[in-house]
Amino acid sequence: MRGKFFAAGIFIAFGVAAQGFWSSADARISLEKCTLCHGKPEFRKILVDGKIRDLFATGDSLKGSVHEKKTCVDCHFDVSEIPHRQRPKRVVCTHCHYKGNAEGAPQSDSYLEYFGSVHGTAIAKGNTKAPLCQDCHGDHSIRKAKDEVSAVSPRNVAETCGRCHIEIYAQYKTSIHGVALSKGIMDAPSCTGCHGEHKIYGHLDPKSSVYATHVAEQCSTCHASVTIMSKFGIETEQVATYKNSFHGVASGFGSRTVANCASCHGIHDIRPPEDPLSMVNPKNVPATCGKCHPGANPNFAVGKMHVDAHKKESGIIYYTAQFFKYLTIGTMLALIAHIFLDMYGRTRRLRGEQ
Amino acid sequence: MPRNEKKDPKQESLERDIEAAVAEETGGLEPSEAEKIREKVRARVLEEVERERRIRTAAERRAEERRRREERRRERHPEEGEMFERFNRNFRFQHIVMFTSVILLVITGMPIKFPDFVLSHYLVALWGGIHNSTIVHRIGAGMLIYFMVHHLFYTVLSRRGRRDFVLLIPTPKDARDLMQNIRHLLGKTPEKPRFGRFSYLEKFDYWAVYWGCVIMIGSGLFLWFEMIVLKYFPKYVLDVAHEMHSDEAMLATLAIVIWHFYNVHFNPDRFPGTLMWWHGQISEHEIKDEHPLEYEEIMARRAKQTAEVPHP
Repeated sequence: MRGKFFAAGIFIAFGVAAQGFWSSADARISLEKCTLCHGKPEFRKILVDGKIRDLFATGDSLKGSVHEKKTCVDCHFDVSEIPHRQRPKRVVCTHCHYKGNAEGAPQSDSYLEYFGSVHGTAIAKGNTKAPLCQDCHGDHSIRKAKDEVSAVSPRNVAETCGRCHIEIYAQYKTSIHGVALSKGIMDAPSCTGCHGEHKIYGHLDPKSSVYATHVAEQCSTCHASVTIMSKFGIETEQVATYKNSFHGVASGFGSRTVANCASCHGIHDIRPPEDPLSMVNPKNVPATCGKCHPGANPNFAVGKMHVDAHKKESGIIYYTAQFFKYLTIGTMLALIAHIFLDMYGRTRRLRGEQ
Repeated sequence: MPRNEKKDPKQESLERDIEAAVAEETGGLEPSEAEKIREKVRARVLEEVERERRIRTAAERRAEERRRREERRRERHPEEGEMFERFNRNFRFQHIVMFTSVILLVITGMPIKFPDFVLSHYLVALWGGIHNSTIVHRIGAGMLIYFMVHHLFYTVLSRRGRRDFVLLIPTPKDARDLMQNIRHLLGKTPEKPRFGRFSYLEKFDYWAVYWGCVIMIGSGLFLWFEMIVLKYFPKYVLDVAHEMHSDEAMLATLAIVIWHFYNVHFNPDRFPGTLMWWHGQISEHEIKDEHPLEYEEIMARRAKQTAEVPHP
């Protein structure tokens, strides 16, 4: 037994020495040293507010993540002595992720958008609760968004946002989009589908993709697409009919008070009209319209809402439109014919013909 | 009155009249009292006379100016001949109210029908946003409704209005005029149709405005007071009103801009435009050409009048 241990000890010693000789020695050594404490599963700290801060981290923590090849001090570069006298600072991702970095860390302008976003500006103002990169992307387990288990993958991102925005997450989870996404329909939008990824702004900020006058445009990125909507049997004419309605036109001219898609269909709690909880269920339409038109009654729900006068299904509206179409064409053709005739006659007279 | 030392006979007879009237009324009073009253009455009467004279001279001055303008016009355009009043002041006022309101309605309404048209954003921005634009649209609507009411009263209460209304009713002659005009313009017949006060073109314009006002004001009021409408009607009634309002607006705008403008402003005889909507006058040359029957009627009436008035 003892011999075996000895042999193993020598082997490990040689191995370590060889690794130290051939590869970046201090990195390996650093991981070895860190795991002296952080490798113990019970290594945690009880904070002043009673919360427990888990400080367990081993060489496996980075396994599978995009930073697999990195070591502790690559990110925690402010740690220079063990045990640390001060609490190490939060990791700053831009230490590597800047344009033209030598590490080869991916960087694009889209990351910079974070700093102007509602989260980035909140951090800059000193709000400690606002998220940094690692709050959404994960700390040691950062994976590409394409990766299914990533915290920012389309299926998981709502839950990630919901860690802070818990009430909105609850609304979204039961909405038609949330339900569809949980069923694995990847066309359904998650938080980032509407709000954007890094450039998230408050809905009162005119830069926001969900600002009152941008909502219709945002919804129509999917709802105007026949290829997406035909999969679910949803009509795409809603976008055009809204744009032609007074609400849509006024919104296009910059009115923030007229109804946009979300005013009637809900924001995070969008449900299909058959759902009795839906804001656009015929039973709920008077209350929904009544938000802006006080005293709305069930008459508001009689007749199609997104009505298209060019479709025969619209009934009397279609026939009215048709009547005026032919009246206009007929009248104007007759009048223009008369005008040309008049010009012709006057020209003849001016030429002296009779 | 120290300034008229030698009183003119008119003034003297006036003084005498005052004297007589005051003396009759103040017979039983003290002489000093009567004198006071006489002075008061005299001052009052003279003041009134002076005022009347001033008004008369102002009116005369205006009339003189008009005469002089007329003379200058005759010198400059001798071919026009005498001027006749085609539209009276009331009618011109109605027309101005109407076209002002229609212009407001078109420039605030059309951007809503064609939001993607390049000019639409400027037209909305002109009023400072869509909210203000809708307010201006309602101001225009109010003016158009006022015009409609004014015109109905004018038609019923005014003699000119009643006469014009009767003359505007379509008759079989209009159909004959249309056919003859087409043949004339094609060169098939040398005779122009002889129009009365209103040709078939003008009758069409008049009744087109009637139809347009009824549709636009009717559907517009439905859309304006949508909450009241929805109390009694289902939503699709509003959709129908919306469709009518939008489509008839297009028809009316096209008819005005193409048809009406060509006939009254842009045709080769009138180009670049006429000011008849402002002064209401039509020249002898024009009335003979365009409304010969009306001209003959006017001449016949004059001849009758001069025959009736006995020569002194």
